[in-house]
Amino acid sequence: MDEETRIGVYICHCGRNIAEKVRIDELLDFAKTLPNVTVVRDYKYMCSDPGQKLIAEDVEEKGINRVVVAACSPTLHENTFRNACRRAGLNPFLFQMANIRELDAWVTESVEDATEKAKAFLRAAVNRVALHEELEVGKTKINPNVLIVGGGIAGISAALVLAEAGVKVYLVEKEPTIGGNMAKFDKTFPTLDCAACILTPKMTAVKAHSNIELLTYSEVEQVEGYVGNFRVRIKKKPRYVKEDLCIGCYECVEDCLFAEPMFPSEFEMEIGKRKPIYIPFPQAVPLVPVIDPNTCMWLTAKKCPQYCREACEPDAIDFNMGEEYADVEVGTIIVATGYKPFDAARIPQYGFGKYENVYTSLQVERMLNSTGPTGGEVLLANGKKPERVAIVHCVGSRDENYNRYCSKVCCMYSIKLARLIKERTGAEVYNFYIDIRAAGKAYEEFYKKAMEEGVYFIRGKVAEVTDIAKSEEEKGKLVVVAEDTLLGRVRRIPVDMVVLSVGLEPQEDVDRIRNMLKLSCSADGWLLERHPKLAPVSTAAEGIFIAGCCQGPKDIPETVAQAEAAAGEALSLIERGEIELEPNISFIRRERCSGCRICIGVCPYGAISFDEEEKVAVINPALCRGCGTCVAACPSKAAQQHLFMDEEIYAEIEGVLL
Amino acid sequence: MDISEMFETYFERLSEVAESEKYKQCLQCGTCGGSCPYGIASPFTPRKMILALRAKLIDEVLESGAQWLCTSCYTCSYRCPSQIPLTDAIIPALRELSLLEGNPPEELAAALMNTARYGNPFRESPRKRDSWVKEVEFEVPLISKKGDVDVLFIPECFGAYHRRCREITKALAELMYLIGIDFAILGNEERCIGDLTRLSGEFGLFEDLMEKNIKTFEKYSFNRIVTHDAHAFNALRREYPKAGFEKDVLHHTQLLYENLDKLKDMFNELDYTVTYHDSCYVGRRNGIFEEPREVIKAIPGVKFVEMKRTRENALCCGGGGGGVWLDSFIRNYLKERPAEDRVKEAASVGANVIVTPCILDVPMFEDALKMTGLEGELVVKDISELVLEAIKG
Repeated sequence: MDEETRIGVYICHCGRNIAEKVRIDELLDFAKTLPNVTVVRDYKYMCSDPGQKLIAEDVEEKGINRVVVAACSPTLHENTFRNACRRAGLNPFLFQMANIRELDAWVTESVEDATEKAKAFLRAAVNRVALHEELEVGKTKINPNVLIVGGGIAGISAALVLAEAGVKVYLVEKEPTIGGNMAKFDKTFPTLDCAACILTPKMTAVKAHSNIELLTYSEVEQVEGYVGNFRVRIKKKPRYVKEDLCIGCYECVEDCLFAEPMFPSEFEMEIGKRKPIYIPFPQAVPLVPVIDPNTCMWLTAKKCPQYCREACEPDAIDFNMGEEYADVEVGTIIVATGYKPFDAARIPQYGFGKYENVYTSLQVERMLNSTGPTGGEVLLANGKKPERVAIVHCVGSRDENYNRYCSKVCCMYSIKLARLIKERTGAEVYNFYIDIRAAGKAYEEFYKKAMEEGVYFIRGKVAEVTDIAKSEEEKGKLVVVAEDTLLGRVRRIPVDMVVLSVGLEPQEDVDRIRNMLKLSCSADGWLLERHPKLAPVSTAAEGIFIAGCCQGPKDIPETVAQAEAAAGEALSLIERGEIELEPNISFIRRERCSGCRICIGVCPYGAISFDEEEKVAVINPALCRGCGTCVAACPSKAAQQHLFMDEEIYAEIEGVLL
Repeated sequence: MDISEMFETYFERLSEVAESEKYKQCLQCGTCGGSCPYGIASPFTPRKMILALRAKLIDEVLESGAQWLCTSCYTCSYRCPSQIPLTDAIIPALRELSLLEGNPPEELAAALMNTARYGNPFRESPRKRDSWVKEVEFEVPLISKKGDVDVLFIPECFGAYHRRCREITKALAELMYLIGIDFAILGNEERCIGDLTRLSGEFGLFEDLMEKNIKTFEKYSFNRIVTHDAHAFNALRREYPKAGFEKDVLHHTQLLYENLDKLKDMFNELDYTVTYHDSCYVGRRNGIFEEPREVIKAIPGVKFVEMKRTRENALCCGGGGGGVWLDSFIRNYLKERPAEDRVKEAASVGANVIVTPCILDVPMFEDALKMTGLEGELVVKDISELVLEAIKG
C-alpha cells in the first residue's frame, strides 16, 4: 500500500479486569511514542457498541488504516473487532489484538510488572500490524450430513431432531444396542416415570427413521477434514449375526449349547448372567443378538455343534464375519459419548467386591427393573428382602483422592433409589450424605416426599462398611460407620444391604476421541465446551459439538436440552450452507522454491502438490487449513502463511523483547 | 496464653506443615470421625476440631483432652476427601499448645522430657544404647570402627532399650549377619529419631533431634539406612529429607523381601497359621503391603490367613503418636483399646501367630493378649523373629 501507515490504538479497561492491574494512563502515554501511531484511546469496554464505534469514527475522521486493540484474548473478541473494522470500511485483517487480560492482568501479581508487560504486548502488536496486508476470505460449502458419536439419550435426542428436519444422520454406537445408561434405569427422578416407557419409543423411532443410518457395535476410527467437510471412517465390529437378515426371534439364544446363561452380563452390571449369544435386554435396538467371541465355544475353540445356526431360520448367523469399515462424509459432528460409572472397588473401606451385599447404584437399578435379573425385586445375595438398607452418597465424588467434582445426579438418584427400595421391600432406608443437592425443577419437593415417606437422612460421609460386630444387634449384619455430623456423634448402623452411589467419570476412551477430533478437555477429563456459559455445546473445533455427560455430569433433562441445542447448532451451520474460512492459509513463493517436496510429505491435509513443469510445490487454497507445518518445514523459506509471514512474526518478537 | 495468642501460635505452626491450608476446605463430612479408632469416644473428632477452630473455641478443644485421643494411625488423613493433613498438622499443633500450656498427660510428658535429656524416652543412659550387642554370638560392628558400609542399621529407642523389643533387634541383626549384609550400627552415637516426638506435638524437640542426627549421619559413609522401627522409617523417609538428608531408607520388611531368594534356601518348615497386621506407618502411610506378605508366604508349612481389616483399612495397635504413653489417659475415655479389638480379630480368623512389621505392635499386642485372655491361643512375633525361626528351625 502506498498511503502512509496510520495506526489507531485502543486500550480496553475491561471494567476492572485490566484497569486494576495495568496503569492505563501510563500505557496511553507509551502508545503515543510508538511508530506510525496516530490515534490512542482508552475505553471501559471496547467490545461494547460505543467502543466499537470509536474505531469507525477514527477511520472516517482521522484516516487511520491500521487498528490495534489491547484487550482480552483474541479467541473471545478478535472477530468482534475485525467486523468493526469491516463495517468501518477497513479490511478486517489490518487489525491486531494485544492480549493484556488473560496473558497479563489476570496472571501477573504486581501492577508494575503488569504495566510493563502490557507495554511489550502493545509494542509487539503495533510493530506487527504495520506489516499486515489486505486479505480476502475464502468460503467452503457445508456437507449437510451429520455424524453423531454415541447412542445414549443424548445421541438419540439429537439424531431425532436432525432427522425430523430432513438431515441425514449417521448414529454410531459402540455397544450392541443404543439406549446407553438410561436404558438400565428403572424409573427416573423426580417424576418416577419408567425410564423404558419414555426411552424405548425414541429408540425405535431412531431405528425406523429413514434419515438415520444406525451403526451399532461400531466405533469411529478416524476423522479427517474440517468443518463442513469431514471424512469419517467407522469400524464395525463383527456381531456374527447379520443385521439385515435377523428377525429378533431369540431362537438362536434359546438353542445355544449353553442351556443356561452363565457369563456375567455387561448390561446387568454383572449381577445378571447371559449366554455367549445374547440380546442385552428385551427392548434392545436393533433387536439383533451378538456373539461374544471370548465365550462362544465355536469362536474360542472351534468346538460346538452350532445349534444357534441350525435354529436360525433366516440363516443370519455368520461365524466368518470380520471387522468391516464404512467411510462416510459429513459436515458436522456431535459427540455424545457419555460417561462411565465410578469403579466402587477403588475405595477399599466400602467393601465393594468384598461383602456380597454391597452393591453399586446401577446394580440396584437393574434389580429394580422388571426386565432385570431379579425381575424387579430388591434382594440380598441369599434371596431374601433386606430389612435395612444404607445408601452411601458421594462415592468417588467430592473426594480429592478420586474426583474433586460433584457428580450432580447422585443425590437425586439416591433419593429415588431410597423411595423405590422402601416401596418394594418395606425396608428402613438410611441415606448418608454430605450435602443434599436437589436444585432442579421439582427436585426439592421430591426430597421432601422421601422424608415424608420415612426415609432417614444422616449427614455424614460414610467412613467404612464392616462386618465386624461390636454388639448383639450387629451380628450377621453389615455395619455402616459414619459420624452423624449434626448430632456430633459417631454412629454405627447395622444394615442388610449397602448401596454405593457411584459418581460419573469420563469414558475410558475419551482421550482417543479427543485426539481424533482435536478437542480439549478440562482437568477432570470432561470434554471442554467453547465457553462455559455462552457456547456450552460448541467446541474449540469448528463444526464439532458436544452434548450430554461427555461434557460433565448432568441429569436427563439437561442432557436432552444440550443434545437438542447441539442439533440446533448443527442445523444452523447446515442452513447457512457455506462458511467463511480464515485467510491464514499458506502459499509458495515460487521463486524461492527448490522443489525439494518436503512440504508435500508433511502436509496433514494433502493440500500440496508438485508442478512437474515448473518444478515447484503448489498449495491448493481450498484444502489448506493454515496449520503452518509446511512453513516450518520449508528449508528455503518458500512456504509462507498469511498473517504469519516471517517479517510479521519477527516484528512481533522484537516488539516483545525490546 | 490468651485465646488470640493461642490462635497465633497454632496457625504459625500449621503454616509450617505442607498442605495445612487445606483445613479451610473442610467439608465437615465426618469421614475422619467415623474412621478414627477413638471417634466414638472423642468429644472433638478431627472434624469438630476444625469446626471449633473456625468458631475460635480452641480453648474448649484443649480442655476436653481430645487432642490426646489420637494414635496418629493416619486413617483419617488417608480417607479425608479434602486431603487435610490432620495427623501431621491439625492434631500435633493442638498438642503443641497443650504442651506449652503445661497440661499434657503425665506419662507422655515424662517420655518427652526424657527424650530431650537422654536422647531416649526411657531415661536410660545413652551409653547403654548398644548393650544388646553383647547378648548376641556374632559381631555387630560399629560404623566408627568399620568405616564404609552398605547398610546403617538403626534399632531406634524401643529396639535398643525396651526389653521385649531388643529381642526383635537381635533377631534382625542375626538375619542380616546370616544373609551376609554389610552393616554396622552407630552405637552410643545413635539418638532418638523422633517421629513420636513430632506427632506428640514437640516440634521443637523433633527439629533438634533431626538436626543432630543428620550431623551424625554425615560423619559416616554408608549407602542406606535399614530400620525395623516403623516410625523411625517414616520420619527418615518423609521428614528428614526436608532438612537435607538424602540417603535411601529401607524398612526391614523391604530388606527381607529384597533378600527373599537367599532366605528361601535357608527356610525350614513352620507349622503356624499366620496372619499379618498392616501397621499404620508401614502400610497405610508408606504403601508397603506386598513385601511382608510375600516373605511370610514363602516360609514352607505356614498357612497364611488375612484379617478382615487389612491393608489401607487395618486397625491401629494404638501405640503410635505417643499412644504407647497414653494408655492410662485413654482408659478414661474408652473401654476396649484398639489393640484388644485387633488381637480378637486375629484370633477370629483362626491365626495362632500374629506377625507385625512395627516394633510398637509387639508390646501393645502382647499386653492386649493378657487383657483379652487370648494368651496361649495367639502369639505375637515381629516378621524378623518369624523369619529367623524359619531358618533356625
